[in-house]
Amino acid sequence: MMENAWLIPLFPLLSFLILLLFGKRLKEASSYVGILLTLASLVYSILVLFERFSEPTFITKFDWLTIGDMHLTAGFEVNQLNALMLFIVSLVSFLVHTYSKGYMQGDERFPVFYAYLGLFTFAMLGLVISPNLLQTYIFWELVGVGSFLLIGFYFYKDEAKAAAKKAFIMTRIGDVGLFIGMILLFWETKSFEYSEIFAAVDAGAVSGTMITLTAILIFIGAVGKSGQFPLHTWLPDAMEGPTPVSALIHAATMVAAGVYLVAALFPLFAASKTALLTIAVIGAFTAIFAASIGLVQTDIKRVLAYSTVSQLGYMMLALGSAGYVAGVFHLMTHAFFKALLFLAAGSVIHAVHTQNIEEMGGLWKKLKLTGPLFLIGTLAISGVPGLSGFFSKDEILVAAWEGGHPILFLLALAAAFMTAFYMFRLFFMVFTGEARGNQQHVHESPANMTYPMILLGVLAIVAGYVNTPWFGTFLGDWLVDGNKALEHHGHAEGSPLIMIAATVVSLAGIYLAYLMYSKRSLKRNWLSGTGDTLHTILTNKYYVDEFYQMTVVAFTKGFSYFLRFIDVFLVGGLVKGVTGIVQGLGAAGSRLQSGQVQTYGAVAFIGLAVLVVIFALTGGYLR
Amino acid sequence: MSLSILQQFNWSAMTPEFIILGVSALLTLLDLFMPKSLDRKILGWIGIAAILAAIVSVLGMVGGPVTSILDNSFRLDSFAMAFKLLLLAGSGLVLFLAVSYKAKDGLEEYHGEFYYLFLSALLGAMIMTSSGDLITLFIGLELLTVSSYILAGIRKYNLESNEAAMKYVINGGISTAITLFGMSYVYGLTGSTNLIEIAGRLSSVSDGQQAYLLTLAFLIVFVGLSFKLAAAPFHMWAPDVYQGAPTPVTAFLSVVSKTAGFVIVLRILLTVFGSAASVGDPSKPILLEMQDYLAFIAGATMIIGNVVALRQSNIKRMFAYSSIAHAGYILVAITSLSSNMFYSIWFYLLAYMLMNLGAFAVIQVVSEKTGSTKIADFAGLYRRSPVLAVVMGILLVSLAGFPGTAGFIGKLNIFIGAFYGTPHYVLASVMIATTVISYFYYFGVMTQMFFRPASDDSKFNLPFGIIVVLIVAVVGSVLFGVMPNIALDFMQNNLDVLADFFS
Repeated sequence: MMENAWLIPLFPLLSFLILLLFGKRLKEASSYVGILLTLASLVYSILVLFERFSEPTFITKFDWLTIGDMHLTAGFEVNQLNALMLFIVSLVSFLVHTYSKGYMQGDERFPVFYAYLGLFTFAMLGLVISPNLLQTYIFWELVGVGSFLLIGFYFYKDEAKAAAKKAFIMTRIGDVGLFIGMILLFWETKSFEYSEIFAAVDAGAVSGTMITLTAILIFIGAVGKSGQFPLHTWLPDAMEGPTPVSALIHAATMVAAGVYLVAALFPLFAASKTALLTIAVIGAFTAIFAASIGLVQTDIKRVLAYSTVSQLGYMMLALGSAGYVAGVFHLMTHAFFKALLFLAAGSVIHAVHTQNIEEMGGLWKKLKLTGPLFLIGTLAISGVPGLSGFFSKDEILVAAWEGGHPILFLLALAAAFMTAFYMFRLFFMVFTGEARGNQQHVHESPANMTYPMILLGVLAIVAGYVNTPWFGTFLGDWLVDGNKALEHHGHAEGSPLIMIAATVVSLAGIYLAYLMYSKRSLKRNWLSGTGDTLHTILTNKYYVDEFYQMTVVAFTKGFSYFLRFIDVFLVGGLVKGVTGIVQGLGAAGSRLQSGQVQTYGAVAFIGLAVLVVIFALTGGYLR
Repeated sequence: MSLSILQQFNWSAMTPEFIILGVSALLTLLDLFMPKSLDRKILGWIGIAAILAAIVSVLGMVGGPVTSILDNSFRLDSFAMAFKLLLLAGSGLVLFLAVSYKAKDGLEEYHGEFYYLFLSALLGAMIMTSSGDLITLFIGLELLTVSSYILAGIRKYNLESNEAAMKYVINGGISTAITLFGMSYVYGLTGSTNLIEIAGRLSSVSDGQQAYLLTLAFLIVFVGLSFKLAAAPFHMWAPDVYQGAPTPVTAFLSVVSKTAGFVIVLRILLTVFGSAASVGDPSKPILLEMQDYLAFIAGATMIIGNVVALRQSNIKRMFAYSSIAHAGYILVAITSLSSNMFYSIWFYLLAYMLMNLGAFAVIQVVSEKTGSTKIADFAGLYRRSPVLAVVMGILLVSLAGFPGTAGFIGKLNIFIGAFYGTPHYVLASVMIATTVISYFYYFGVMTQMFFRPASDDSKFNLPFGIIVVLIVAVVGSVLFGVMPNIALDFMQNNLDVLADFFS
């Protein structure tokens, strides 16, 4: 099975091509093409995953590009991480394909949507089986294109257009870091291949500073894709895309690509303490930073978006604390419960046609399936004992504590408290109390939307049991099995106190939310009312966007004005002076002769003169 | 030179040139004697057939030994063949555009002239690739340039076209004067016009004063030739001329003429200045000594091209600046002088030819429909013609250098080459930064095509010539992007440019 794993990404690609060419004729039937082909990917991924349990890693490659005397290869690899990712991505993609059939019903560009989904899934699956950095980078960019198209799907909305552009540019800033890091690493190790890079690092062929530098540059790429501080602002804006897209891209797959990249290159990062520390600090800071913004958002999808940013921060913190298993484990459980939450949120939006939680309320009785499913997702993300999120979050907290970062540990604990609080604030405001908005025709979603949610709901409960301190650490052992570089980064045994602390903060957060938003025995503004400084800062997301607008954007604008000034007055003036002389000499005649054309020649002459003068000053007689 | 000596020459080395020359003359006569009522498009098809025949004859010579005739002034080496193939393929595609171009503004009367002037321009470019002498190089250059002047202004009753031709002539004249002035220094110092002889004499010169003069000559010649490349500081003509010239001519100028420019730059720079001792360090050739200057010009070209392109609202002007930027990328390869330089440049020009000509095919179709060349005309293209929009999308993505396309492989070759020997960190960073800038204007067109509503819903019907160009361009851009080793294998197995070049 594994030797043909390259087929897995090709199914969605086929779907993309079929729908691109025949989508207009297929109309609503397009969804079946997409669903069946992603189902094929999913079945194949499951088979590969099970085969990988018993067989060793499979890798194959061939010469792809020769530059001078260097041979770059292409191929694919099925190791534990890749096999797991293939499963997660194809599962979530399949469920989103199914769900969208109901959610996108009636959209004029229904086939186009499915075509884009196919392209994105292809890119993401291609990314996770790449055996080398260059191939990863190529699919990494393709993933960016796919997400650009999907976020901007409602392109007639200005916000969607702006969000797509912002997502593309922000992640590209990160990509530049990744690209430079990749090239530097290539020059140090003469290879893009993971195995050879790790071998070179292991053999000490790369200097410590270079490892740190390249690791941090590559991490910048991950920061962009995974929405880590300070490149996080695109992710909440990306909620302008259709909700199934948010579930696919902004919960389970693309944003997880950054975490995946760090995990895939973990032996490189593990070789530099500085790089690990950077990752841990950025991760922990993002976790609490985004969680605090999540406290005051009133758009259901934006709350989930900030919680995604925050949870991704958790994963980075885990990897940065050398908790390889913890990071990957949380990546998996988060994919399930966050996809569930987004799909459930989509179901809510589908029912009430608004995203503002102030206009919802009392939906528990009306949405008999969505409500409990949303609650499962909320309990899982809040880390309530027994559900998947509890186990993976505990693993991360243990990793942070054992990694010797008590401060980061406390930050993570505080973020866990906030997460429990704002998630239950969301739950209570949407599902309990009185209906606040205009809710006349509220109805439960159709079966093709609820079945994917039910499956995810089950996974959100049970997925944690593959790696628990109580019933064995199967996942952790399997992930590091046979990989020397990861030997010391498997499952970590921590003090039960950590688990108790995590449970206490999570329950405390839930209780506080209950007091404030359900029982209302505490006033909503007892800590900080609307209009207060703290509240204003939080609703404005710490003014990061404004900060960028005022600094980076303004600087770029200013710089361009400056250049224009130089161009118009200095160069233009100089040129005008010269052309003036030429004009005076030449017969003032036709419009063409006295026109700009002389400027062009003059610029060439000035350019030549400048070069000659520089040469005379530096290389010639005048030296 | 008696007849017997003439007969001794291995004239078969010039077969491709003879084919083009012969057909060009034939077209002149046909145009003269054909009844006025007959459509001159037939001449275009004959031209295409001639180019195909010339390509076949070049391919037949591939792998053969270096042949030089006429006192070494015409040499057929791997370099010449590799670039002749590019020039012929590019010209063939441009002719496909030209036969699909709707003649107006006076072109209907001179339609026949267009084709034979076009072939004579191509002949000039081909001679440039094969010349081993400053004189033949210059003659080839002038044949190309003078023909292009007329081509740019061939829409006789169109004001923009006239202006374009006028500006092109004046700037071209200045550049020719500068180039010749620089060449006269070289001749004065060595007493020869033959490139190999010049190289031989210069390698033994170690006089500081001569080296100083030669370096001046280097700067002067390079600035003169930067006109053909549309590189800084001689780039300013390009936007005006590209905008005014008929679209097929613009395509020709931006691809074939530019390729010819790089051919002459490589010939002169590498043979003459690659062996001459420099001022500071006699063991170091001038070319190496002047690397910083080349880097400066390359950087400036990339920055100017990409930054100014941002502000354009006319698609042809935007492509003019984009073509300036691409010249800058190729100059990076010349600056870094890596062992892989010939291949990188050749491949880049190949990729550039495919993506740029394809894009111009789309531009021609769209602008003929709307009668203007505004970028805004592309609004809603996806609605009106999904095929055209997707094709343009692929080509733009390739121009921007996205992975999976030939444009990416081309940039990667050059980028990695910049780290050979002494790494050019600054230049490589400028290349990356300006590439990122280029995304903005390429994606601006994408936004128009995919995300804007169309002003009208009329469909396009694509002429046969356009379809051919689009298929070749898209298939080539994707094929060389996914399997770049095809081009490399062809080059490595058949054309050992580096070994042939100096022999």
